[in-house]
Amino acid sequence: MKFNPKSKVIVQGILEPLGQIYAPQMKAYGTNVVAGISPGGEQTEWQGIPVFDLVEQAIAANGPVDTTVILTPPYDVLDAALEALTAGIRQIIILSQGVPPMDMVRLLRRAEKLETLIVGPNSPGLIVPGQVLLGTHPPAWYQPGPVGLLSRSGTLTYEVARELTQAGLGQSIALGIGGSPLVGSSLSQWLQILDEDEQTEVIVLIGELGTDQEELAAEYIAEAIDTPVVAYLAGQSLPTLPLPSEALLPPQHRIMPFSLRTASAVDFGTPTRKLAAFKQAKIPVAQSPAQVPEWVKKVLKKKRA
Amino acid sequence: MDLLEYQAKELFQAMGIPVLPSQQISQPQDLKGLRIPYPVVLKSQVRRGGRGKAGGVRFAENTIDAIAAAHAIFNLPIMGDYPDIILAEAKYDADREFYLAVVLDTSLRRPVLLGSQEGGMNTEATFSHVQRVIVDQDFSPFYARRLAIKMGLKGKLIASVSAVIEKMYRLFLQQDLDLVEINPLGVSVDGEVMALDGKVTVNDTALNRHPHLQALTARLAHPRSLAPGLEQATFWDLDGSIGVISNGLGLTLTTLDLLYQAKGKPGRCLNLVGEAQQDWVSASPPAGKVDYPTVAGGYPQLGAALTYLSQDPRLQVILIHLVSGLLDGGAIVDTITAYLKRQERLPKSRSAPALVIRLLGPEPVSTQALFTTLTAAIPNDSQQASGESKVPVFCCETLTAAIAQAVLLTKPEKADKPEKANKPEKATKASRKKPAL
Repeated sequence: MKFNPKSKVIVQGILEPLGQIYAPQMKAYGTNVVAGISPGGEQTEWQGIPVFDLVEQAIAANGPVDTTVILTPPYDVLDAALEALTAGIRQIIILSQGVPPMDMVRLLRRAEKLETLIVGPNSPGLIVPGQVLLGTHPPAWYQPGPVGLLSRSGTLTYEVARELTQAGLGQSIALGIGGSPLVGSSLSQWLQILDEDEQTEVIVLIGELGTDQEELAAEYIAEAIDTPVVAYLAGQSLPTLPLPSEALLPPQHRIMPFSLRTASAVDFGTPTRKLAAFKQAKIPVAQSPAQVPEWVKKVLKKKRA
Repeated sequence: MDLLEYQAKELFQAMGIPVLPSQQISQPQDLKGLRIPYPVVLKSQVRRGGRGKAGGVRFAENTIDAIAAAHAIFNLPIMGDYPDIILAEAKYDADREFYLAVVLDTSLRRPVLLGSQEGGMNTEATFSHVQRVIVDQDFSPFYARRLAIKMGLKGKLIASVSAVIEKMYRLFLQQDLDLVEINPLGVSVDGEVMALDGKVTVNDTALNRHPHLQALTARLAHPRSLAPGLEQATFWDLDGSIGVISNGLGLTLTTLDLLYQAKGKPGRCLNLVGEAQQDWVSASPPAGKVDYPTVAGGYPQLGAALTYLSQDPRLQVILIHLVSGLLDGGAIVDTITAYLKRQERLPKSRSAPALVIRLLGPEPVSTQALFTTLTAAIPNDSQQASGESKVPVFCCETLTAAIAQAVLLTKPEKADKPEKANKPEKATKASRKKPAL
């Protein structure tokens, strides 16, 4: 795992409304938040965290930084991330929502060349319970344990985490890869990381509508993942629902060209297709967040037996 | 958001993509001043697909024919949408029709160029022949030529088609678009190319940095502005009697799933913004009070959502399901009590939906304490006076309990009073048609 309490962290956009809240919260949890970045402001510190105009100034004062958490307004995210990349930061977590997809394409082209891990955008970030918080996860709903929680959804992740914690099932890590159509690291990438992680005995995968991330992940699990996986998929009842009018669909659905959707890709990203993929990969799918702990216990019992 | 064909073609023209001479018609009489020579094509300007097959595209040889055709098209709904504008366009004799598109592939995280020699209305054929080129680094025209050659084009067509693809890509990039599609690209006998129909989908998140696109979309009825204060919310308009207010797509869908599993019937469902949206929390949280930021005047979105749903006569229950480490109990209580007070002032005949509330907020402020505060704050003067509260409120600790409570409240046998038993007319799946995708 690349995340621990010693790694140095900065928060870009620390004086934005959410930065003001979450930077001190992360620090209070034990994350080594060494600096915040807020260009051109008059404030030089926030809740005991020094604030700089540039990433390179923060690095000059603190030495190399491992991770940046970005909370800037969406149109400033690309610039902030490029600044971090240029300064040599190799783990970037983007919490901001509404980053234009082509900005992400540009960022990812650079990031791939520099072998940089990008989480998000529109992500709750990650938490290693008891050690480090890099995002918006409400810490009280998590505890250390054997479950790797991997999700495409924000608030639903909290809900499932709390169900697990209440059932006595702590987490090795919990991570939201981001709810935008186009995000940095994929479910499959994280499955691989969790598969190699010694603390993780079972993986909980939380999916939702849109994109084909879950379908790809299910295939990948069947091929390459030894750690048992339990899934929960939001929107399972949707095939029986009338679909909302096209314009109201989440943007993920509207990104396929019109003509192609009407042909064979009509169920692209739908629950039917995702459920079929999980079934094919023999991954148990819980019916509700409350049922996730039951499945995890079953799987753990079988594994430990 | 999808632009209309004539708007897409305005963008094409500005980019140098060949389009036919055309004119916008807002009423049949406008055709008397038509500046395009006959024969012409009249095309319904709606955002739904399938207008050709539905009769929304007609040819006319003269003014009389054209006016008759325009009358028919203005009165023809395409999947429920009536056009405000008809596009009159010169007729073009295409020898062949191609399909071209630029779109973002979310799995590859790259834009892709798509092309097929089988364009037009036969989407099955288009799809089975479509070729794909991934733009994996910065764009250069060779990507466009690569697609043209993969499509099987030869000779001069390679240059003319790849020039169109290149311009489509530049448009896609400059304007932050989700999709640029030309279908069909007409090819004349002598190899001239012409964008006969086009589709442009703008990216909603990038719209604010493209004033020109904003002006274009402002002319369309914005589908998301259901009510003031709910511009960011997305919704499902279902037929049942349980309204849902939740935060986050995954959480909203989960709530819907569980209602269905419990044999409940969801009605209008609102997904408020995710918490990473700046306006979920206050503009400036007070220093030293980082755990519980306050939101002045409550949560405007929640208030707007409640008001909006309470106006839906089909709803018997509104289920509020909010999960966030930032939930401020005080602001929630303020918002809900303000709503309840507004309901109290309404005429007695109009019965407001019951509220079922499930909140998951910061742990030290337990949900139980929150509910106690909420219950204490609910105005119950009239409850004592008339023996009946106008809006029954239920607070539930778990999601399972909240779902059960919401479903119970919509069961007719559980209603004590006969006047409350007037169940909304039974929702049938068939009563809502699936829109064309």
